[in-house]
Amino acid sequence: MKKTRRSFLKGLSAGVICLSLGQLGFDLKEAQAFAGAIKIEGAKEVISVCPFCSVCCQVIAYVRDGALVSTEGDPDFPVSEGALCAKGAALFSMYSSHHRLQKPLYRAPYSDRWEEKDWDWTLNQIARKVKNARDKNIILKDEKGRTVNRLENIFMMGTSHASNEECAVIHQAMRGLGVVHMDHQARV
Amino acid sequence: MTNHWIDIQNSDAVLIIGSNAAEHHPVAFKWVMRAKDRGAALMHVDPKFSRTSARCDFHVPLRSGTDIAFLGGMINHILEKELYFKEYVEKYTNAAFVVGKNYAFNDGLFSGFNAAARRYDKSMWAMETGPDGGPVIDPSFKNERCVINLMRKHYSRYTLKNVSDITGVSQDNLLKVYDRFCATGKPDKAGTIMYALGWTQHTVGVQNIRCSALIQLLLGNIGVAGGGINALRGEPNVQGSTDHALLYNNLPGYHATPNASWQTLAEYNKANTPVTALKNSANWWSNRPKYMTSLLKGWFGDAATPENDFCYAYLPKLEPGQDYSYMYVMDKMYHGKLEGGFIFGVNPMNSFPNTNKMRAALDKLDWLVCSELHHSETTDNWQRPGSDPKSQKTEVFLLPSAHRIEKEGTISNSGRWLQWFDQGVKPAGEARNFADIFVPLFNKIRALYTAEGGVLPEPILKMHWTEKFKADEWTKRINGFFWADTKVGDKTYKRGQLVPAFGALTADGSTSSLNWVYAGSYTEEEGNKSKRRDTTQTPMQAAIGLYPNWSWCWPVNRRILYNRASVDENGKPWNPERAVIAWENGKWTGDVPDGPWPPMADKEKGKLPFIMMKDGHGGFFASGPADGPLPEHYEPAETPLSSHVFSKQLSSPVYKFHSSDMDQVAPPADPRYPIVLTTYSLTEHWCGGGETRNVPNLLETEPQLYVEMSHELAREKGIQNGDGVIVESARGRVEAIAMVTIRIRPFTVMGKTVHLIGMPFAYGWTTPKCGDSTNRLTIGACDPNTTIPEAKACCVNLHKADTLTEIG
Amino acid sequence: MPKSFLIDTTRCTACRGCQVACKEWKDLPANDTKQRGSHQNPPDLNPYNYKIVRFHEHLDEYGAVVWNFFPDQCRHCTIPLCKDVADRAVPGAIIKDSKSGAVLVTEKSAELGPKNAQAVINACPYNIPRLDPKTKRLTKCDMCADRIAKGMQPICVKTCPTGTMVFGEREEILALAQKRLESVKRRFPKAFLADVRDVNVVYLLAEEKEHYHEYAAFL
Repeated sequence: MKKTRRSFLKGLSAGVICLSLGQLGFDLKEAQAFAGAIKIEGAKEVISVCPFCSVCCQVIAYVRDGALVSTEGDPDFPVSEGALCAKGAALFSMYSSHHRLQKPLYRAPYSDRWEEKDWDWTLNQIARKVKNARDKNIILKDEKGRTVNRLENIFMMGTSHASNEECAVIHQAMRGLGVVHMDHQARV
Repeated sequence: MTNHWIDIQNSDAVLIIGSNAAEHHPVAFKWVMRAKDRGAALMHVDPKFSRTSARCDFHVPLRSGTDIAFLGGMINHILEKELYFKEYVEKYTNAAFVVGKNYAFNDGLFSGFNAAARRYDKSMWAMETGPDGGPVIDPSFKNERCVINLMRKHYSRYTLKNVSDITGVSQDNLLKVYDRFCATGKPDKAGTIMYALGWTQHTVGVQNIRCSALIQLLLGNIGVAGGGINALRGEPNVQGSTDHALLYNNLPGYHATPNASWQTLAEYNKANTPVTALKNSANWWSNRPKYMTSLLKGWFGDAATPENDFCYAYLPKLEPGQDYSYMYVMDKMYHGKLEGGFIFGVNPMNSFPNTNKMRAALDKLDWLVCSELHHSETTDNWQRPGSDPKSQKTEVFLLPSAHRIEKEGTISNSGRWLQWFDQGVKPAGEARNFADIFVPLFNKIRALYTAEGGVLPEPILKMHWTEKFKADEWTKRINGFFWADTKVGDKTYKRGQLVPAFGALTADGSTSSLNWVYAGSYTEEEGNKSKRRDTTQTPMQAAIGLYPNWSWCWPVNRRILYNRASVDENGKPWNPERAVIAWENGKWTGDVPDGPWPPMADKEKGKLPFIMMKDGHGGFFASGPADGPLPEHYEPAETPLSSHVFSKQLSSPVYKFHSSDMDQVAPPADPRYPIVLTTYSLTEHWCGGGETRNVPNLLETEPQLYVEMSHELAREKGIQNGDGVIVESARGRVEAIAMVTIRIRPFTVMGKTVHLIGMPFAYGWTTPKCGDSTNRLTIGACDPNTTIPEAKACCVNLHKADTLTEIG
Repeated sequence: MPKSFLIDTTRCTACRGCQVACKEWKDLPANDTKQRGSHQNPPDLNPYNYKIVRFHEHLDEYGAVVWNFFPDQCRHCTIPLCKDVADRAVPGAIIKDSKSGAVLVTEKSAELGPKNAQAVINACPYNIPRLDPKTKRLTKCDMCADRIAKGMQPICVKTCPTGTMVFGEREEILALAQKRLESVKRRFPKAFLADVRDVNVVYLLAEEKEHYHEYAAFL
């Protein structure tokens, strides 16, 4: 199998020749100082996929010491050839946005605020609610006496942001519970 | 997509209609530009001139909601001028099939209409059958009830004048598009149609797409390189999430969800497995029982046995004819009929139409579980502007979700390529991927049932589940396993080994696959094919940019669907320069053909190209759609017209709607709401904007809600560019900034001026001062087949604002 | 031999991948912008945007809509006037790398002071440099000197999906520009290469510069 993963040092389109610091000429010192160290120096390249439209541009995530330092298009991906749009180009700042949710939050009935909770407490609460709703409301037979085993009073919405594997998990879990009100963005 | 992104470069004519490809699939536009470089005609038909139009040869402004009239005119043009690809149409389509005598069409209504139920009896549209139960075919086309003759008659009403009157497109412009696109009706030419939500989000969405099927079959553009009907799918994995059916009406792999009439697996299979009388029809769905049993086996493992019907009885059964889609969920919620639920990775309180109703509905829930990257209009609905949290009962659990770079797994792009992504970094804070939420949650529910018992515990406890989610394991489960030692050809597979392809799946319980279309993606022989990064191609493959060794594509790595239609009966490509497959020396070369059989000239073993159709022929006339066997123009549910030229039936007789107090609809030609509103996304934000508004560098580029309008309308309303504006419909009121532009122009429709405005729906109140949901204006009228709402056309009015409160 | 860019505006879809990628690579903070009746945002180059896509619309002689996109940035002039002016006040505030052809603003530009900085800005035929009020330095595109030093393409070029932007050896870029021009002229007879001899960022424009941006071309 022919692998053509180009390294960036070689990965330029025809007609572009590498420029090394030694070639910079009379302003070498200043230019060198100017260029400085590149921010992806020594970072590991991890292949990911842009999470927006269905072109699914492959992306290289540069990771150093477990932290993301930069992202850019994967030049080998035949569809994008390394390109990205505005959204794809903003992946790094999306990841690092200070708006990101960091902990499970809980809003009690009639409360005017969010409270931080731990995962275990949160999932226990949800599991209990689902079981109660199911035990109370699952419809085993319809009006004609046919077996239907369906749970109508809870629903699942989402999501095309999920991977195929996550979708498979969600679908299986929901049908196991008897959920029929299941839908997502494919219909929006 | 029937084809894939790179394949667009092979087109001679690119018709972008119902999509704004350059803005919404910007990187894929590279391939549209490559087609242009090779001399292709690029055409954009859309209500507004956009960044897509700017790069096309020309733009044709079309009044929103009139695509069927526009395309019906093209069908008429093709048939009248005999521009169709005769050999293709005669051999590969149902043009020669004779339609049954019960079919009729009269003044906008097809036969079988039940006005009280707003439903058709589709059996009235059945084909004439012969003694063997197979179709009656008249290759001479002499029978007046031949499909092609009925089509001719139906579309003869779509004259240039009628079409121009309704669409607002000049006759010159109509011909400009028709001539260029119909030039691809030759064997060595290909034209592609690129559509997106601009087609689906209408009360006639499915019929918009059916029109393109009619045109592409007439022109012989299905199955060929540079051809096809290409749905530019929106969300990152909406292809995959549709394949895996996060939908009420499907099980993974395009199987109908069981309903109460199918009490046993045998009854299910009987109702869902078509039988053909035609020897040369592959009728691929005859394999459905194998895929269904393998799915049940995947879900229930060793608990699924032939004796217990593979646990089929445990699956929930729908009530026949009932709609459980989200618009119905939201209506039931509004009426207090739902207790709680999960909203993950979607923001309905901004993206669903008639948002005021959606927001009021969500207030009725007792509990809600959300999982998101950021706070959204949905997660924080209880504290939205104008709402008093102290009166809101809903208990909300908001779970932080992991970003793409923080997890691993596969997604499927619009061209059905299965692409693996690695995990780059750990999830932020305590964020988790969705499966790491559902797996432990389901295990907690299982533990409760084990400890306490409960109603119908079996499907929960007998499920073939997992303690801890591992993406790779589920990629394998999707592909499928052998559950008994099995011989396939010369090779013996052990229990627990991966199935090599869907050809190995069986109905006896010896195999599993969570989605048959993905079988073959992860094999013992070649491992996880979604990770393949090999760009090698044969010269034949390279000529069309097939890249068969990069990742993997469903089904069975077939890159272009219906590719048997790209060759003649002897397997010779219609266009040897851009061949997809070719029969050479007794075997197929190029792409993976649609089935291994020899070409049709082999009267014993050859098969027709449309293998997913019962009778193997491409279908012009189809009894499947709820709203008719042939597409017909109807006005949107809200329309500036009180009548139209095609029939007395103003709007679709069968579109779906709700009638709560919050589902107000303006009557036809309502003087209070004379302006057509169309809505859309934009390049710099993602759909409802829930993610991208939280990315400062993107918000900088498109910071606030705007309304695009013509200079003529702005003058009429005394509005200057940049002014604050109030837009109102029968359902809501929205503030926006006026963007006065030549890119939108008034339409002349049946002699009168109709104004159209356009607004993005990316803005919501959780981002301060950027504006709030445009969908407060849009309507909850839905396509009768898909229940997709008509977000692309409704009626509004607007005026200059004295003050703005939503935008600052 | 210096490097050059070709920016073929007839291929640009204004996806703004370049504009955003530049900010991301350079870690530039976002501006607080408003909708003013245009897609062009931020409205102009500023200390935190070295590259913006400009939008301009008009009707052609047949009444058809023309919407032009202009990804604006420093032209890295062959003889940079900004450098001449800066040299008179603070030598080294602006340098020109003879190999890459990049015109670079250095940290010494902070020593220029507001008056000289303004003189530098005024000297630019393309109205490019901006003064960062926080650092007192001049700001503008640096040709991604860090990237090209490693043999990588400038991030805007790397990101461009449609082939609007190409980067390479000047000689080759000029040849490509000529080739593209000939092809574009078939549809746009007025097409031209803006100031091709004087700049290392060569814009291919389909019509008069007025239909793009006041400073789209100098001559």
